[in-house]
This record gives sequence, C-alpha cells and structure tokens, in this order.
Amino acid sequence: MPGTSVIDDIELIIEDIRGSGGGKPPSRRDHGDGGNDSGNTGGERRPEPRPASPKKYSTAIALAMLSILMFFMVLTAAFVVLRFNNLHTWSAIRLPWILWLNTAVLLASSATLELARRKLQVDSLRGFKQMWALTTVLGMLFLAGQVTAWRHLAAEGVYVTSRLSSSFFYVFTALHAAHLLGGICALLYVGLRNFEAARVSRFVAAEVTSYYWHFMDGLWLFLLALLYFGQ
Amino acid sequence: MFSLGHKQAGLRYLWLALFSVVLGMVLSIAMRVQIAHGNADLLAERYVALTLLHGSLMVFFVLTTAPQFGFGYFFLPLQIGANDMAFPLLSGLSFWLTLASLLAISVSFFLPIHAGMQLWLLGVVLFSVAAILSSVNFCTTVTDYRTEGMSLTRLPLTVWAWYVTAVLSLLIFGILLAACTLLISDWYFASQFFAARVISTVSLAAIWQRWFWFFAQAEVYVAMLPCFGIVSHLVSTFSRRPVWAERAAVLALCAVGVFGFCIWGYHMFAGALNPYSPLVFSLLASSLGVPASVLLASWLGTIWDGEIRLTTAMLFAIGFISLFLSGGLSGLFLARHDIASAALTDDFVTGHFHLVMGVAATFAILGALFFWFPKLYGRRLNETLGKIHFWITFAGVYCIFMPMHWLGLLDRARNGGVVIAAQSPSAARSFITAAAIITISAQVVFIFNFFWSLLRTQDSYRRNPWHATTLEWFLPTPIPLDDFGGYLPPIYRSAYMYGGRVAGLDFLPQHVAPERLAKFS
Repeated sequence: MPGTSVIDDIELIIEDIRGSGGGKPPSRRDHGDGGNDSGNTGGERRPEPRPASPKKYSTAIALAMLSILMFFMVLTAAFVVLRFNNLHTWSAIRLPWILWLNTAVLLASSATLELARRKLQVDSLRGFKQMWALTTVLGMLFLAGQVTAWRHLAAEGVYVTSRLSSSFFYVFTALHAAHLLGGICALLYVGLRNFEAARVSRFVAAEVTSYYWHFMDGLWLFLLALLYFGQ
Repeated sequence: MFSLGHKQAGLRYLWLALFSVVLGMVLSIAMRVQIAHGNADLLAERYVALTLLHGSLMVFFVLTTAPQFGFGYFFLPLQIGANDMAFPLLSGLSFWLTLASLLAISVSFFLPIHAGMQLWLLGVVLFSVAAILSSVNFCTTVTDYRTEGMSLTRLPLTVWAWYVTAVLSLLIFGILLAACTLLISDWYFASQFFAARVISTVSLAAIWQRWFWFFAQAEVYVAMLPCFGIVSHLVSTFSRRPVWAERAAVLALCAVGVFGFCIWGYHMFAGALNPYSPLVFSLLASSLGVPASVLLASWLGTIWDGEIRLTTAMLFAIGFISLFLSGGLSGLFLARHDIASAALTDDFVTGHFHLVMGVAATFAILGALFFWFPKLYGRRLNETLGKIHFWITFAGVYCIFMPMHWLGLLDRARNGGVVIAAQSPSAARSFITAAAIITISAQVVFIFNFFWSLLRTQDSYRRNPWHATTLEWFLPTPIPLDDFGGYLPPIYRSAYMYGGRVAGLDFLPQHVAPERLAKFS
C-alpha cells in the first residue's frame, strides 16, 4: 500500500488530540509547528471540563415537550376518531363549573411566573422568591381544583367506567395533572434550591421551568376546549 | 458498575443486544421445529407467546437497541468531538430502564396468559420511556455539543442517522405510550376505550392491533435508519471514495424519517374514517421507495470505481445492500394494498420483513461491530473467521427467507383456485427449517470469534487500522475516561475525504489542520 510510512506519521500527528497515553497533557508543539495553534489554548489545558452549556437544558425541555405533545395528540386523535364513530350513541357529560375557576387559577400562575422572572432580571431575589412561591401555590391549587372536579362528577354518578365521554374526561385530566405535577416538582426545586454552587444559574433554571409551565398551561386550554366542544 | 459515562452505556447496550439475539435465535429454532414437525405438546397459546417473545426480543432489544443506542451511545460523542452525552444521568437511567424492560418481557412468557400480557405491557412502557429519555439525550448532544467546525454538513452520516432516528423515536414512542396508557386505563380503571364499538364487528384485539401499528410502522424505520447511516459510512471507508451524492443521502435519511412518521397519521385518521384510506396508505408506503432508491444509488455510486477493500465489515455492508434490495423489491408487492390485504399473515410477509428488517439490520450491526471492534476493545476480530461466518450466514438467510416468499405465493395460488398438486409445501418447510438450523449454528463461529478475539492478547495494534477519517480513530484505545479531555479538536473538513492523494495519503482526517498536513507532502 503506498504511503504506509506516511500513515504511521499521521498516526503520530494525532497524538495531539490528547497525550499519547491519555495521562500527560497534550503538548500542541510536538511537531515544531505549534505556531499554527496560537489561537487555541496552546499548551495549557483548562483544568476543568467545559462548563455545562445552559443551552442544553432549553434544548432538552423543548424536545421533551415535543414528545409530550405527540403523546397528547395521539390521545386527541383517539378522541376525535371515537367521537365521530359514535355520533349517535355518544352521551355527553356536563363539565363541572369548577373547571373554569381552575383554568383562571392556572392562567394566573403563568402570569405570576413571568412576574417572578422579571424580578429576577432586576436582581430582586426576595421579590422573585415571593412570586415564585405564589406560582407554586397556585399550581397546587389548580391540582386541588381538579380533584374537586372529579368529586363533583363522582357525586353526580359519573365515573370512569360510566361511558366513553367520562372515560376520556378522567384520563385527559389525570394525565395532564400527572404532567403538571412534574412542573410543580420543578417549581419547588427551583424555589428551594440554593444556586450558589450549582452548575446552572438560577436564571436558566427559572427560564427552563417557565417553558414547561407555560406549555402545561397551553395544553390545558387545548384539552379543555377539546372536552368542551367535543361533548 | 453504576458509572454514567457514554462508553459504558454503549457497551452495556451492546451486551444486552448480544444476549437478546442469542435468546431470540434459540426461540426461532424452537418455532421452526414446531412448524416442521408439529407436535401437540406445544400448545397453540404457548406458540403465540413464543412468537411474541421472539418478536419483542429481536425488535426492541436487538434491532432498536444495538445500532441506535449501542453504537450510538459509544460513538456519537466521539464522532462529533464531545466529551460525553449532554445528560450522563439519562444515559445511565435509560439503560437500567431498558434492562428492567428486558426482564419484564422475558419473564412475562412464563406467566399465565393474562398476567403475562400485563407484565409484557409494563415492559413495553419501560422501554418506551427509556427510548424517549435516550432520544432527548441524543438530540441535545448533537444540537449543542458539536465541536468547533463540526457543521451539519460535516457530520458523518452515522451521526446524521442517529440524529434523525432520535427525533423519530421521540415522536413515535410517545404514540406507543399513549396507546399503552389507554389499554392500561381500560384494564385497571375499567374505562371504555377498547370496549367502544368503533365498528361493531371489531374486537378488542383488532383495535389494539391497529393502535399498535401506528407505532410499529414507524418503528421499522427507527431500526433501519441507523443501519443506513452505518452502511454509508462503511461503504465509503472501504471503497476509499467520498459518499456519492452525500447531500442527497442526508436528505434521503431525513425523508425516510418524515415518511415513516407520517404514515401513522394516515393510518389513524384515514383508517377509521375514510374508505379510500388503503389507497392513501399504499401511496405513502410506496413513496418510501424514493428515499430508499436515493440511498441505494448513493451506496452503489460510492462503490462504483472505488478501490474496494473486501474486509469482513465491507462484506457485511454489501450483504446489507443485497438484502435491502431483494427485501425492498418484495416490499413493493406488499405496498399494493390489494395484494397486502390478502397476504397479511402468511409466509410472504414473514419472508419479506425478516429479509429487509431483521436480517439486513443484523448485517449492518455485524458490519459495524467488525468495523469498530478495534475501537471498542483495542483488538481486531479475526478476518478469516469473520469471512467464513459471513458467507455461511449470507447464503443461509437467502435459503431461509426466499422459499418463504415462494410458500406465500403458493398459498395465494391455492386460494385463487389453482391447485399445484405436485408441489407440496411441507418439503419446502423442512428445507427452511434445515437452513435455519445451519445458519444459526454458523453463528457459533461468530460467537467464538468474538470471545476469542476479546480474550486473547494481540501484540500488533494500530490505532487506525481502516485508515478512517472520523475523530474516534485518533484517540488512544482504551479511550480515556474523559475522551478528549480539556482540548476539543476543531474540525476542518467533511467526514469522507478519501482517495484524494493529498500528502501521500488517500484519506484526510477531519481534525488535521491544512497547514499541518502540508508538512507531509
């Protein structure tokens, strides 16, 4: 094979991807032309690994939201298909009035969340913590409201097993509540954690949490509209 | 043991796949023996459970796991010049969830039918969650962790394939989870989803089957896409030529993902509502032929006039192309809905999807293993044994699955009223069984080669035995715990610079600066 010896040379070049055994720091001037690399870190090796990129958290949460959206879209598709296949046998349920109150609470929580982030931007940690706590409480209030809605329905004798429409109502609300519970955990985490020594800043954590929270908010509006107009 | 590094995750996934493939092959022998010498000892119900276990092991834990998560976890960060995945915690978590899922699915076989079904479903849910977590991890890593200069056009095709597959799995495992949720809710909370009379004659099983197919249709592409990437990579490396029409190949990879995903929607809405749905579905399924042809053309164009090196890895890549072509041709028949509806359960379909999905993907996995083994373990697999293994397997799988197509056509002919008395299918069935046993026995050669190469000490070691260009080949083996350490190498060119004869080399590593290279001319 032509150029075998050169290939051995090239295998030497590569030593400077990292030191020959992995133990010694890579010397970028082994081959006498280190001048090319003066723009890089040169011989010094940063002692710590690259700091965690804050971008990765927003990327990951966007992807997770995509997956969750897909999950709910399939359930929506199931709802639409089953609804149209049972046009004549469909028996609607009356949505409990408390759902509207819950919706208002959830919308308010999104607003307070944004207020909290504003406070953080102007460096008011106290204001941030207060608004953040308020958001968390509103979120929990929403969950409590959903449980009340189930109890209302149960009191009217409408259970999961009763009919297709009630099955969908319970499953949609329960799955949304389960996802929202994850959001509340994130709110608690960001609210209670001390970010002094953390790898992510409080600002990034609050931002990523807010994406998810607003997403849950929007998802609820969508599900509510679906349940309301689908009856 | 509980280390979260990406290399450990990749190796664990590969070992899990190796275990599953051995188990799955033993099951398939059992099935063939049952078909050839049907004895009443094996109950019909058990036989169905056996088929289910074979299918779930092979599809979930071999075809989905090995090319995407096994090689992906190990090589994706190395190829894009990152020190680890974006979320090491997710790498570890997803593996242990997958292992739990494997346990659940295997154990479910031994339980009574109802409990077994529940445990199986739990296994599928765990697997889906693990796949979604991994996919988030993969996408984030490729999006945010590429090294300097590693633009999207310079990504190796393997990375492209892993990327597209991750996006696709992110979406379709959500579908599977939703279907599972409704079923679980019916079982445990007695909701009414599957009891609903969509069409009064459709039973629960049939509705579930359709639900499952929204997912399963796309799952085929989740298994195949990484294989496409691997084959492009191997073919280019061993033909010493750049990937022919690389942009088109990348677009084709994306198109396979998009089409594979779209099919579910048509399946869902059209399937229930619209009498023309089979036509739409059939058109979509046929349109997958377009990106598939582009990929095929790209592979052949790369090999054409190349300086081909017939290593075992290259043989497996060429074997993949052959199997993909012949399996794909029979797929064209199945995409015709009038034929497919008649042939849905018979041997023709079994032959088709084993050839195109099962065996072809296995060939890509084996090719990748022969190719990357020096990087995984610092020693090469034995080439002679590898070639013996390749040829027996290659001939064997054609002997198994081609007669199956023929059997399927024979069944069709009989149903159509044409009786061919002289040609009894039982002889063919025995032939298939014999071929299956021989082919599976030949895998002993591979298992021996694998463990023998792994345990024996090799003195001569070359860091980059295939003269490949991507970053992973320029790290010492075993790869240090923190991969590149503090210095992430910048990238100067595309991943497939072969055959250029610059500086007396027929390949240009991605990371060597042009000025540095000039020194060697």
